[in-house]
Formats: sequence, structure tokens, C-alpha cells
Amino acid sequence: MADLILNDVRKSFGSTDVIRGVDLTIEPGEFVVFVGPSGCGKSTLLRMIAGLEEVTSGTVTIAGTDVTEAEPYDRGIAMVFQSYALYPHMTVAENMGFALRLARVPVPERRRAVEEAARILQIEPLLDRKPAQLSGGQRQRVAIGRAIVRKPRVFLFDEPLSNLDAELRVQTRIEIARLHAALGATMIYVTHDQTEAMTLADRIVVLRGGVVEQVGRPTDLYDDPDNAFVAGFIGSPRMNLLPARATGPQSLRLGTLDLTLPQLESRLTAGQALTLGVRPEHLQDAGQRIEMTVDVVEQLGSTAFVHGALGPDLPLVVEARGSRPAMGDRITIALDPARLYLFDNDGQRLR
Amino acid sequence: MTTTAQPQRRRRRTGSRAERRFALLFLLPAVALVLTFRIVPLLWGFGLSLTDATGLQQGQFIGLGNYAEMAGDPNFRAAMRNTVILLLTLPVWVLLPMILASLIHLGVPGGRLYRSVYFFPAVLSSVIVGSIFNVVLRYDGALNALLGFAGLPAIDWLGSGSTALLSLLTVQLWATFGMSLLIFLAGLSTLSSEMIEAARLDGARLWQVWGYVILPAMRPIIEFVAVVTTIGVLTNMFGLIYVLTAGGPGTATTLPEFLIWLEQGQMGRPGYAAALSMVLFALMAGIAWIQIRIMSRNAGL
Repeated sequence: MADLILNDVRKSFGSTDVIRGVDLTIEPGEFVVFVGPSGCGKSTLLRMIAGLEEVTSGTVTIAGTDVTEAEPYDRGIAMVFQSYALYPHMTVAENMGFALRLARVPVPERRRAVEEAARILQIEPLLDRKPAQLSGGQRQRVAIGRAIVRKPRVFLFDEPLSNLDAELRVQTRIEIARLHAALGATMIYVTHDQTEAMTLADRIVVLRGGVVEQVGRPTDLYDDPDNAFVAGFIGSPRMNLLPARATGPQSLRLGTLDLTLPQLESRLTAGQALTLGVRPEHLQDAGQRIEMTVDVVEQLGSTAFVHGALGPDLPLVVEARGSRPAMGDRITIALDPARLYLFDNDGQRLR
Repeated sequence: MTTTAQPQRRRRRTGSRAERRFALLFLLPAVALVLTFRIVPLLWGFGLSLTDATGLQQGQFIGLGNYAEMAGDPNFRAAMRNTVILLLTLPVWVLLPMILASLIHLGVPGGRLYRSVYFFPAVLSSVIVGSIFNVVLRYDGALNALLGFAGLPAIDWLGSGSTALLSLLTVQLWATFGMSLLIFLAGLSTLSSEMIEAARLDGARLWQVWGYVILPAMRPIIEFVAVVTTIGVLTNMFGLIYVLTAGGPGTATTLPEFLIWLEQGQMGRPGYAAALSMVLFALMAGIAWIQIRIMSRNAGL
């Protein structure tokens, strides 16, 4: 049985539609990441699952029970907030045990649950401190601990790493992945950072404007995006999206360059406006060769991102592995027809 | 400021000797002002309190005579008794604005209107407030007329010893609780909404959110309002007393500051009034000390 089912869930604030019909089924133990640009509704959707935001229409089902109208604490969920939302006047142990205290769990049992969670998160020495005495990373662990103690059916994370510095973010990301493996619980995680989404998720839900653009495994979204938005959002640096024009059923013109796509199944009409997508990491191998002048180099040591242009209004980023290009150099790039993504005028993928 | 806040660094000297001398120059105006207008009058007042000065001629030194007289002065004892009654009503002064501020914060309909209405009396001078309530509370006033409509007997709110002080305190409460309300509203607005949501997810019902999360988080503000209110009622009720009851009937509404004025201005006994001022000063210094302790205790929160 699925742990969470969203059935045509909608949310409006007055006349503004924030969530415009979301259907989603999440299996037990899955790690699902909601990702999208700010304002796409991902946090609102999470808060609707939590019961902190009313559902305008549609149903939310958790573990087979319709909880659309249920209070947050009756849903079998726990949430970790971006601001940690710890109670400043309580010690770490009291913070973590607060839900059990409200549920009138006896003190010894409560202490055992708190100590168990503290052990998992390695925060046992902090149990008697107040939140003000903790670092950001430690507070985040306490917030996660508070969720663990409740043994929820579903964990909800609302951008939990946004307030941490870069190094700590990577570290905590790995720990959350480890925690998911250890607990085997269902987790739903909201982020605007596609790297977090790619590294953590079993499945990614890409949202834009309150609509699900695509759902799939991280590699599926990377290898086979449904539309130009997902193609541009997933992957770093982002996919090059260039305007092109069809010249025949399987051929097109990009700037001064004529390309043929023999594997294309759909047929183009000559003169049709298209968007051609190609990832920076796919421009060095086989395929049609063309020269480009290097404008800017972002050198990362193991690799370098070269910024240039194929022509006016055709900026291109190329990943140059194993070479050390310099500004002003002429480099040869290769456009492999098998690695090109084609999108129509509305951004929908043409396969 | 820095030297008092960081005593462990007090002995570290910064800058050259010339620089330090220059720094003293900048401190001089402030030090001179504090000395002239705070410290000197305080010491002067203390000196005065040890004499039997009448205002017309230099008084004779009588040691602690004034303080000894105070112990047997029924007016002073009445003023102290009234002060204790006043301090006992403190929970009302704190709870009322806190509850109303919470309701406004939770978004009752018309909250903005209530906020303005509650705050409005705070901009009125106490003489005007007194005049308004004189019309309301006097024996043939509006309140008794209202009671008459309901068939209830009239009460001499300001003229009877059993009701005068409480009437006075109620008027002062009406006039000043708007300021406390604003302080509470400001405090409530700094509470993180995510914290309250976290409590709801943890299973807290509305009153539990209130009791376990909001109230403890608001404790520094509650203490602040309590201290400020106490000092306010001890030092700012003169105008109201003067207009409404003049300390009467008898000594029923005589508070220390009113007594000081009586002894100084009416009885022509500045020496005795100075002694009373010293006692009031000590009382408020005690409260200020508690305030500083409370604030430093909360510094770690």
C-alpha cells in the first residue's frame, strides 16, 4: 500500500492558484524530492501534506487514511523546518521529547527514545544544552532528532540545509541519505537545489507554477527530460538551450551550422522554430566538429567550463575535461546528434 | 559602555597616553551633566533629608530624625499600604495587555482597530484622563446613572475609602495598558511562526501551544513589562491622584509621590519630603536591581 497519495490536489489563495492539480503516489520507504524554482509551490505542497496549509480541493491520503481534513498531529508525519524551529527555552532533550510529553508517554520511555535518537545523530553530549548554545549544524541535527523521536510514518523536510554553510551542507546531505537508509522511512524533501535533489532522491518531482513538470528517477530526468524546463533545471552547469530552425523532416539549422538527426522519430516541418538542447559535458566526443573562441574559462582543476558562442545569440558552455584552455583560444567542439535534445516552441520534447 | 559590559577587559589600556587624555575630554560633557543633574541633587536631597528645613530658612541637622518620624507617621504608613495594594494588582497590569495582544496577534476580526483604540488613551495627559473619569465616576456621574438603569444602588466610587484606590488604579490601567499591549504585540511578532507550527505538529493543542511554547518564549517580555509598569505606577500617578481624589478620602489614595508633594509643597517641610524621596528612591532602586538581574538572566536565552 502506498504511504502517500495526492489526488488532484489544488490550493488557491483568493484568486491566485498556487497548486494547480497535483497527482502523486509515494511508496513506503521512498525518498522523494520536490524541486523547482522559488514560487513553484513546492513548500506549499509539503505544508499541505503536513496539514499546516488547507487543501482547496482534492484529497491527501496517508497510509490508506484520508487525512485531507485531519489535524497535523493526527497524520503520522514529522517535519524538519528550514529555520529548525526549536523551542528556545527547552533543552535539547526537552525539545526532542516534547511530542512524547504531550502524548503523555512515561518519563523513562521518553528518555529512552530521546537517547536513541541522540545516539543515531551523535548529539548525546548536547542533550542538556539550550538551542542558543548550539551551532547551526547542531541545531539542524536536533530538529531532525525531534522528528525521529516521534517515529513518524512520513518525514517531511522543508529546505533543511538552506541555512547551513556550503561544507556543512554537503556533510549533512550525506547524513540525511545515511539516515534514510538506516530508518527505511518514507521521506519527502523540498529543495531548490538540484544537486541536493539529484544526490538524495529515489524519485524527483519537478514543479513549476504549481504544476508537476516531470516525475522520475534522477538519472531519468537527466537522461530523458520531458521538456525544456526540466532539461534546463536538472544538471549543473545547466544544459545549453539554443534557438534553431527546422530545414527538413530530420534536419535543422543552428546559426550557420546544418545538423541532421537520423534517430529523430517525430517529423519536423521546414521553417518550424525549435530549441536545441545539449549538455556541456557532451560536446567533446564524436560528432560534427566546429570551432569556437573561448570567452571565459571557469577552471575547476579536474575539469573546466568554457564559455563561448557559436554565433550571435548562441552562447554555449562546454565542459573541457583534461585540457587547460585559456581565454582567446580556439577550441574544437563536437555536436553528437545522438546527444542532442530537441524541444518544440512550447518547450515540449521532440523525440 | 564597553568597559562595564566586559569587565575582564577593563584593565587593558588602549591607545597612547595622549589619546586617552583626548578621550577623557570627550567624556567630560556627559560626566558633567550626570554629575550636575543626577548625582549632586541626589546627594543634596540626602543631605536635606537629615535636616528640619522648612524652605524659608536653612534647616538644622537632626540626624535620622526624619526617618524616625516616618516610622510613626500614619500618612507614610497609609502610603506604603497603598503601594503594597498597588503592587498586588500587578498581575492584572501584565495579564490584561498580554491576553489582548495575543488575541490581536492570533488575528481576531478588527484587530487593527482594537490596537489603535487600546493605545489611544496613552497619548492623553493624565489631567485629561482624570477629568474624563471625574465625569464618569463621581457620585452623580455616568457610571452610577448606568447602574441606576440596571436597578443597582449607586456607589461613591471616588469618595469611599473602600473603592477609591481601586477606581484610581482602574483608571490608570485604562490609560496606560495600551503601551504594554504594543510591547507584547512587538514581542509576539518576533516569535517564529515555524516554531508554533512545529508545536502543532508535535501534537500541541491550542492552549498547549500557548502554555508550553508562546508563554515561555515571551517570558523576557513579560518581566520587562512588569518592571516598567511597576516603575510607571510608582512615579506617574501624581496627575491622576491630584485631579481625581487629591489623595483622599482621608489617605485612601495617598501614594508615596503624592505624599512627597504634600509634605514639600503644602506642609512646607522639604526636609521630611526629601527623606520620603530617599525611601521612594530606595524602593525603585530595588526594583531596578531586580530588573537588571532579570535581564542578565535572560541574556542567554
